[in-house]
Amino acid sequence: MQIKPILAALKRHKAGTVLIALQIALTLAIVCNALFIIQQRVSKLVRPTGVAESEVLTVQNSWVGADDATAASRTKTDLLALRGMPGVRDASFSNSYPLRGGGMSLGVKTDPDVKKPITGATIYYSDDHSIDALGAKLIAGRNFLPQEIRWVGSNEFDAPAQVIISKALAHKVYPDGSALGKPIYLALGETGGKPSTVVGIVERLQVPWSGNWASNFVEYSVLVPYQSTGAFGSYIIRAKPGQLDALTKAVPALLFKTNRMRVIPAERGVRTFAQVRDEAYKSDRGMAILMGVVCAVLLAITAAGIVGLTSFWVGQRRKQIGVRRALGATKHDILSYFLTENLLIGAGGVIVGAALAIGMNLWLVSHFEMERLSLLYVVVGVVALLLLGQGAVLAPAMKASRVPPVEATRSV
Amino acid sequence: MLKMTHLSKVYRTEVVETYALRDFNIDVKEGEFVAVTGPSGSGKTTFLTIAGLLETFTGGHYHLDGIEVSQLNDNARSKIRNEKIGFIFQAFNLIPDLNVYDNVEVPLRYRGMKGAERKQRIMDALERVGLASRAKHYPAELSGGQQQRVAIARALAGSPRLLLADEPTGNLDTQMARGVMELLEEIHREGATIVMVTHDPELASRAQRNVHIIDGQVVDLSEEPRFHAHNARVADA
Repeated sequence: MQIKPILAALKRHKAGTVLIALQIALTLAIVCNALFIIQQRVSKLVRPTGVAESEVLTVQNSWVGADDATAASRTKTDLLALRGMPGVRDASFSNSYPLRGGGMSLGVKTDPDVKKPITGATIYYSDDHSIDALGAKLIAGRNFLPQEIRWVGSNEFDAPAQVIISKALAHKVYPDGSALGKPIYLALGETGGKPSTVVGIVERLQVPWSGNWASNFVEYSVLVPYQSTGAFGSYIIRAKPGQLDALTKAVPALLFKTNRMRVIPAERGVRTFAQVRDEAYKSDRGMAILMGVVCAVLLAITAAGIVGLTSFWVGQRRKQIGVRRALGATKHDILSYFLTENLLIGAGGVIVGAALAIGMNLWLVSHFEMERLSLLYVVVGVVALLLLGQGAVLAPAMKASRVPPVEATRSV
Repeated sequence: MLKMTHLSKVYRTEVVETYALRDFNIDVKEGEFVAVTGPSGSGKTTFLTIAGLLETFTGGHYHLDGIEVSQLNDNARSKIRNEKIGFIFQAFNLIPDLNVYDNVEVPLRYRGMKGAERKQRIMDALERVGLASRAKHYPAELSGGQQQRVAIARALAGSPRLLLADEPTGNLDTQMARGVMELLEEIHREGATIVMVTHDPELASRAQRNVHIIDGQVVDLSEEPRFHAHNARVADA
């Protein structure tokens, strides 16, 4: 290997060498963190909600001029009409649903005498149709019974006697055994309260929020046997196979036919669950695309920098290459000289870059709720940058290897 | 050692063929010191580049140290250049980014020589040219004469069978040129075969034999008159 003389020669070209190494270092640091962010966002984008997403339609409804009793009556009429529609498998009414963006959350405890809850969880107002309407999968216990459903005012919350919770929440609050049949306490920090017995467990049900702040309790959901008498709420309609598109138009028409004293927002009022997911993760998808573009641009700039500098050096050292050829270097020796030179610059760059990547991540962790960067990203980034460098240097290095030995005798 | 017979080198363009060497014949014996002279454009440098396997030729035969080189591939030619030929260029052609030691080391590294042997050879060669104390200096820190001595050390370090010098004193003042010439004479006395291209008649006169090139053909001034006659006939033909 020619490492020593290459290093000696690089020392004489400090500016170009350091600039390219720094460019590689910065690219590595940014690309590692950007790829990590992309991976986090993408894993969110594909995270299942527990909802039968391809079959569910949501309709946001607000009653106009209705007191609690009227609202409840109209909602019941709606539900009857919806459940009787051709193409509808089931329908329910709730304060919220996964990925809606807004909802209600409470602390969950297993000991009423402690103030600090074990975790936060979202509360979904439900009835005996909700699990089927959402397409959630009941994996233990039972569904709510019709006689357990209570109509309550929007501002009053009293712990129900029965709850159905998600499997993730069940494991969280009762890590050592099944939560089925055991009590939980739903409260906002205060002690005491009434116990709610876990009568059922669903396999998965995501909370309404998709932000990073909710990542600690993303699948902690509690279904309570309440229906709200408030003016606002959402219908969750599960279509029979192949009927979703037709229902998207038919459902609002039916609802207005049933009662015109309502507002269904023109925007986001009627959404398939695919649209719900799309909108919930819009910023995550945008961020992933932006980061991807930043990575691609950075990598392209770095590759272009390497091609540019090496091409310049090849042109500058044409005579020197001829001399080396005259002294016995083969084409392969010249090719390997430039590849090794690039590898050495790249190695310097990635060592600094790896440290920068970790440092940048620590800063992001402390300022922006980022997770710690997996070292695998740094390793993959290092290998990728070194390969990029070798790929970028290949064309100018091959050009260098084609410099004929007779170049040594030509005057500049 | 170096034998070219009926060798030709033609540069072709779409419209014209230019003969740089035509029916070129030369035979340099082992241990000879041959000066090659001739006017500008006569083909001296083309002869040297072909002799040093820096360029291929168009026709004829060239035997170097008993090897017919015309059919050799690029790698084999590189190996012969590395092992059998030492080059001394007019412009020294030292690598400016490397110090004296590393410059002398270049051909030895391409030979794949072990570090200890390289070091021994480099220091021997530098001592031979009187520059062992300048091993860590860079070319730019040396005078022209010293740079040419480093180039000679680089050529000698590989113990070549043939030294090819292209105007070795062309870029030097008289005093430095004399020193370099004395060094070459000394190397020759020790048994080296040297072929030196020069247009300086005084330097040429110090060689053992003079070969004159005119219009790409050899006119050997120091051989028997019958050779001239023969060569002239060939040229006429």
